[in-house]
Amino acid sequence: MADRYELRLPALEVRQGDRKIYCFAVDGKKLHSFAAVSRVRRDDDSNLQGYQRPEVLSHIRGIRRYLESDNAMLPNALVLAFDENVRFETGARRKDGVDYSVPGELVIPVDESLPDEDKPALIVDGQQRSAAIRDADLVEFPVAAVGFIADNHDDQRSQFILVNSTKPLPKGLIHELLPETSGHLPPAYARKRLPAQLMTRLNTDGQGPFYGRIASPTSPDGNIKDTAILRMLEHSLFEGALYQYRNPEDGSGDVDRMVQHLRSFWIMVKDTFSDAWRLPPRQSRLTHGAGIQAMGFVMDSLTDGMQAEEVDCDAVRNAVLGLMPVTAWTSGMWRFPDGEQRRWNGLQNTPNDIRLLTDLLVRAVHN
Amino acid sequence: MKFYFPDSQDLVSPTYDFVNDEYSPYRVRQRDDVYAHQAVTPIPYDGILVSKAVVDGSMKGAGKYSTPQRERLYRLGVRNFFRLPETCSTIGDCGAFNYIDEERPPYEVDEVIDFYGRCGFDAGISIDHIIFGYIPQESDTEPEPAWLERQQISLELAENFLAAAKKNGACFEPVGAAQGWGPDSYAHSVAQLQKMGYRRIALGGMVPLKSHEILACLRAIDEVRNHDAELHLLGINRVDSMEQFARHGVTSFDSTSVFRQAFMDDRNNYHTATDAYTAIRVPQVDGNPALKRLILSGSVSQAEAITAERACLRALREFDGEETSLEDVLTALQAYESLVLGPKKKSYLALYERTLSDAPWRACPCALCEKHGIEIAIFRGSERNKRRGFHNLTVLEAKMRSLTFG
Repeated sequence: MADRYELRLPALEVRQGDRKIYCFAVDGKKLHSFAAVSRVRRDDDSNLQGYQRPEVLSHIRGIRRYLESDNAMLPNALVLAFDENVRFETGARRKDGVDYSVPGELVIPVDESLPDEDKPALIVDGQQRSAAIRDADLVEFPVAAVGFIADNHDDQRSQFILVNSTKPLPKGLIHELLPETSGHLPPAYARKRLPAQLMTRLNTDGQGPFYGRIASPTSPDGNIKDTAILRMLEHSLFEGALYQYRNPEDGSGDVDRMVQHLRSFWIMVKDTFSDAWRLPPRQSRLTHGAGIQAMGFVMDSLTDGMQAEEVDCDAVRNAVLGLMPVTAWTSGMWRFPDGEQRRWNGLQNTPNDIRLLTDLLVRAVHN
Repeated sequence: MKFYFPDSQDLVSPTYDFVNDEYSPYRVRQRDDVYAHQAVTPIPYDGILVSKAVVDGSMKGAGKYSTPQRERLYRLGVRNFFRLPETCSTIGDCGAFNYIDEERPPYEVDEVIDFYGRCGFDAGISIDHIIFGYIPQESDTEPEPAWLERQQISLELAENFLAAAKKNGACFEPVGAAQGWGPDSYAHSVAQLQKMGYRRIALGGMVPLKSHEILACLRAIDEVRNHDAELHLLGINRVDSMEQFARHGVTSFDSTSVFRQAFMDDRNNYHTATDAYTAIRVPQVDGNPALKRLILSGSVSQAEAITAERACLRALREFDGEETSLEDVLTALQAYESLVLGPKKKSYLALYERTLSDAPWRACPCALCEKHGIEIAIFRGSERNKRRGFHNLTVLEAKMRSLTFG
């Protein structure tokens, strides 16, 4: 195979002010033959070289898995900085109507024997994506790319910072979007999909105690924190009463029966502590993260192994009722077995306080 | 002789993908994972030891259990939580190593009894406070005042523990913890504990002692020991001396050492009945902190490291399938090692050559070696390392079985 040749790619030259950018498509498998990633480091004289962090292998693996799945699509363009060895050739003349873009060909000299630092292109944005394509078990995978001819390293560096300075999506929005997604998701999100789906059902379940109560981007009037609910649901799904409805193979589950199970239990909580349930977390520890999670553990403790249809029963109802003397959701003091006392709002949403409260409540329901 | 394996949440995931080094995205820790007694047969221990400090945490934070896991342990009890078969027994202790720097143990007698009772242990050890020091019998050295104090604390707590256990009608067998700094002081503790009414006594703080020192203590204890008293050695695993220990009333012990050697020892990582081998280090480029720093600073090229890492794994697997020669594997290992190890560190290559040419996993009958082949000899990530630890437990089990007690 010839390791020196010219790659000619159909491209569009677009004028932006005084600069020109080139839109084109290239087979991601061939990308690394002419494009490199500029790794940040100090040279022998302590001068800063390059600008990119190392590849995040877990992230790459995630993208790679996605690319190998059916119907994968990578619509956003990679960004490349070219040196002056790359040129644009066109036979077209500028049209009267659109004078800012011209079709033509981008001519890239490829020399596979060149070391990375001498390659004619650097990947400014998309190093994880291009690495995933490189590693993926695919014959080819054309991607959209945008290139510009960089004046110097500083120019590349500023472009790199500009394209990478966007904020990640807010967590609340992600939780709300997850249940309505299909196809392959990164592992961290795949795990969250079922809890998020359950939470959405609880928030929209007109007969349930959580109806409209959970705060989320599309439910701004709710006042119970979505993270507290998600945590409670995850604990029960992985360690508690809801585990029985979960399919460990694909992470799905019998959502209807889970909702029924949750509804039956939390209606008892709502009925037993109706005042504390009505109030926002500022005025009630029950609707606060600590109360939601601790009561979640009470649910697991009372109903683990019970079928959804059996949860609504006197034994569970009486056990929840039995908590009344030890609770101080909205006023008074929490009194712990070791003699420690806390004001009603002296419990915070921390692992230690949640554990303290859980211990108190779980013991109380079993005495 | 009973061997207990101390729990530290050591499990392996049966669905782990070794080729891509990936967990299933849906895996639930602990719940979907398996313990050594589920991964190999015969079960490599007679029971497990669970420390309160591991479950509940102590001074330095939260312990190894998440709150949901801990709640489930309390709910299900220790036998169901660990999915233990009938033949396995359970023993609880406080995990005195976790509070060794404190002046007093951080637990109250009632809460410890509550822990043993709620979890449903078969036996529970009284609260003790480790003494780290040894004075041989013939020496005139005086013990430090703190040692005397710690022995006294341990004895007082043992007395309260037994009284409270009786009062509460505890269902577990109370075990008294003896602490000392030499033969006479251990004998003193044992005598006191017997006087309180203990029939079973756990000897603590002996981990740093040499086997002959342990024996000296056991001989001194013989002088005071009731004929029906049973001794447990906390954290001790000296298979070579076990028959001798048994003659001095030792009926049980616990230790993680063969398990931990799989990934903590510098060279004796993979055990066989007669020998030990060095596991082959192929660190994960994105998981090894030292390598990550080298890459971040630019002194090692990430692309080069990834290529070398993959070449090693490929060569090792091909070698196991007899598709490539020993020399080729060693060349690949050398290339990667030179990237990962600094110039000052010594090379493992000679040790690897021995491991690979003997290929001990091929002759091992344990289910894990049979299933995973050479993967079990690769020092890399917790799934391989813990499997190798489980394998070591099977070797220990076989050694124990070949001993004769009596």
